[in-house]
Amino acid sequence: MKDQVAVIGVGCTKFGDLFETSYEELICEAAFEAFADAGIDPAEIQAAYLGTYMPGPSGGKAAVSLGDALRLYDIPITRVENYCATGTDAFRNGCLAIESGACDVVLVLGAEKLKDRGGRGLPRFGHPLLAKGNSAPGLFALAANRYMHTFGMGREMLAKVAVKNHYNGARNPKAHLRMEVTEEKVLKAPIIASPFGLFDCCPTTDGAAAAILCRADLAKRFRSDYIPVKGYGLAVTTGRPFFDPTFDYLGFRSTQMAARQAYKMAGATPRDISFAEVHDCFTWTEISNTEDLGFCEKGQGGSLVAEGRTSLSGDIPINPSGGLKSFGHPIGASGVRMIYECVKQLQGQGGERQVKNPKLGLAHNVGGPGAVSCVIILGNN
Amino acid sequence: MFAIEKPLPRANEDTAPYWAAAHKGELRLQRCDDCGHVRFPPSALCPRCLSQHHEWVKLSGRATVFSWIVVHQSQHPAFNGDTPYNVTIVELEEGPRMHTHIVDCPNDQIRIGMPVEVVFDRVNDEVTLPKFRPAKSK
Ligand SMILES: [Zn+2]
Repeated sequence: MKDQVAVIGVGCTKFGDLFETSYEELICEAAFEAFADAGIDPAEIQAAYLGTYMPGPSGGKAAVSLGDALRLYDIPITRVENYCATGTDAFRNGCLAIESGACDVVLVLGAEKLKDRGGRGLPRFGHPLLAKGNSAPGLFALAANRYMHTFGMGREMLAKVAVKNHYNGARNPKAHLRMEVTEEKVLKAPIIASPFGLFDCCPTTDGAAAAILCRADLAKRFRSDYIPVKGYGLAVTTGRPFFDPTFDYLGFRSTQMAARQAYKMAGATPRDISFAEVHDCFTWTEISNTEDLGFCEKGQGGSLVAEGRTSLSGDIPINPSGGLKSFGHPIGASGVRMIYECVKQLQGQGGERQVKNPKLGLAHNVGGPGAVSCVIILGNN
Repeated sequence: MFAIEKPLPRANEDTAPYWAAAHKGELRLQRCDDCGHVRFPPSALCPRCLSQHHEWVKLSGRATVFSWIVVHQSQHPAFNGDTPYNVTIVELEEGPRMHTHIVDCPNDQIRIGMPVEVVFDRVNDEVTLPKFRPAKSK
């Protein structure tokens, strides 16, 4: 519920190929940055939510990966996993814990160590009919190709998303791929699954991010520039949208529905949003998501980026952090990392990539593809 | 060294009639007795009205390409020698959409809306995979 919960501290590791850092070390680094940012004693944490797709090597499928890493024992810790919406859904659960009155202070932490674990992006050979040698790029590309056919859009439009997000990420010290790319470089890169080339795809990344939430009426105890939670939404639709004869392949209903819930709670419209961290697992996904989130009409997402309206100085900057495209995508960590970026931007600590006078920031994940989406809206105090 | 074989479908109780029909050279799917909906993939309940009553009906095998991609980076070593290969969604004349593979057509000539028809790829004595090729009939 609007303004009942506040974010009082955030932390985020450097994202990247972190072969030398363990899953537990990633958790500690993100959590202790958040503890220091909030000026809080870890003993004050009353409950925690761990957003992770693949828990630590010795943690099984439970929440003990977080408990053991932080020696955070004897309190409720819950593991959340909801496809690529894992991180934002963990945050949403943290909000619910506080709003219910069960806790005053909650830790939300997303962590993932994918690079040396294998298993990422493998096709689903388990199902006797869905097994067609396809992959995550392939599944999103099937929708992208249909979209591009419908609206007459070419690969150059996709490339503009990569150019923008790499520009932002190059200005972000914690991003995975800190380099700018040209449209030509994006278009000439090897094809992964057409129409997506290498630079249309986000990387596989290791990293962790953390947020500390508390009852909004207690937030002043910790800092004056705390960040109130304005709204959130989560929507689950079919896990097999590709077989739904009513699915038009032009966007994802889960995003539209999650956004509707979040806007309603926040008492806001898409026009009120100052900037957004939007799930750009692939370049096309960002274009389609900006439409599903209501920043423009269906079919106009390409022009939005081409006209520069989603760049840092545009009227609706999208992915000032660099996005999944450049910042990287450790699945469960990504949503919490988006919260980190929103909080820093709203506190005016965006550095070189600071957007102008933000009032409301939005974080969005979609996974499945299209099966589940979560939207969080944060405001400045 | 040993060769890595392509994983083949293993029929379960929902899909066994589908694979058995394919092995006989027929494309069969479930049609709901109560609402008439023809569904893919096979399932115990109708996704439209939740009825469990159905009949396995033989389809025309005619379809159009709904969307397609070309995979250049294989996700499984057994497919490495096949790249670039297409993964295609076709819309069957009777309504359902299915993921499949287009044969007898260069990847760069596949188009959305292109008419295609089913062909049967007999992999071994037990498994036959329905695939599609550009329509010749009509
Ligand atoms: Zn029915």
